Amino acid sequence: MTIREPVSDTTVRKSITVKATPDKTFRVFTKEIDTWWPRTHHIGKSPMTKAVLEGKMGGRCYSEQEDGTECDWGSILVWDPPRQFVMAWQINTSWQFEPDLAKSSEVYVRFTPEADGFTRVDLEHRHLERIGENIGAFRSALDSPGGWSGLLALFGARAEQAG
Amino acid sequence: MDTYRETQFQALGDATRQRIVEQLADGPLPVGKLAAKFTVSRPAISQHLRVLERADLVEHRTSGTRRVYQLNPRGILSLRDYIDGFWTRALDGFKKKVEEVSEEGEL
Repeated sequence: MTIREPVSDTTVRKSITVKATPDKTFRVFTKEIDTWWPRTHHIGKSPMTKAVLEGKMGGRCYSEQEDGTECDWGSILVWDPPRQFVMAWQINTSWQFEPDLAKSSEVYVRFTPEADGFTRVDLEHRHLERIGENIGAFRSALDSPGGWSGLLALFGARAEQAG
Repeated sequence: MDTYRETQFQALGDATRQRIVEQLADGPLPVGKLAAKFTVSRPAISQHLRVLERADLVEHRTSGTRRVYQLNPRGILSLRDYIDGFWTRALDGFKKKVEEVSEEGEL
């Protein structure tokens, strides 16, 4: 994997261990994503009613909105249940769907069985530098009233720290 | 401070400065090479770079007589911090859910 300079770290890594089998853990994470996905996180124009992840190569990741529309925000790049999957995170800095995979970051999730019926979930949100290329568009995000506005609050908070 | 955030967004509120940031996203560049990619004058590019640097969006180092500009990682890391925080919260919710339904439907 090559990550272009100069961004020092363009991958976010998270690991958790849950008391469930890999099959169950994989299923809840993907097919049943609606049961746990934060309702605040979508890029639709009206409140989100459902999160959907289509479990197959090329499957869509999208949300259903109160106004009846569907809002794509990702697609499945690797589908290997119950061990791992990769999805493109197709959200640009204007909080719009990004059709170009070369400008999308990726979420790689791996499920590893552990002793006593536990499963470790390792998540990598990588290639954030691809979003960074469009950092100029952050300005329009400032005006975005969408559910992702929390990002801006945090962006601002971070900017304050940096200042 | 609000003024700081304003400065940062204002700095990006200019098409040339947005393009400078996009160019530097591909890697560090000396001022001359950067300016060669634009039709505006080199002094104008330097001026834009100063605005971006004041907003902590880019930074420079001196290499001999050249100034080499690059993105200030803090500007990018704010996005990274956000993603990091998002997954921490989302995975907490996921763990709760998967353990809650852990006994259902298992063979």
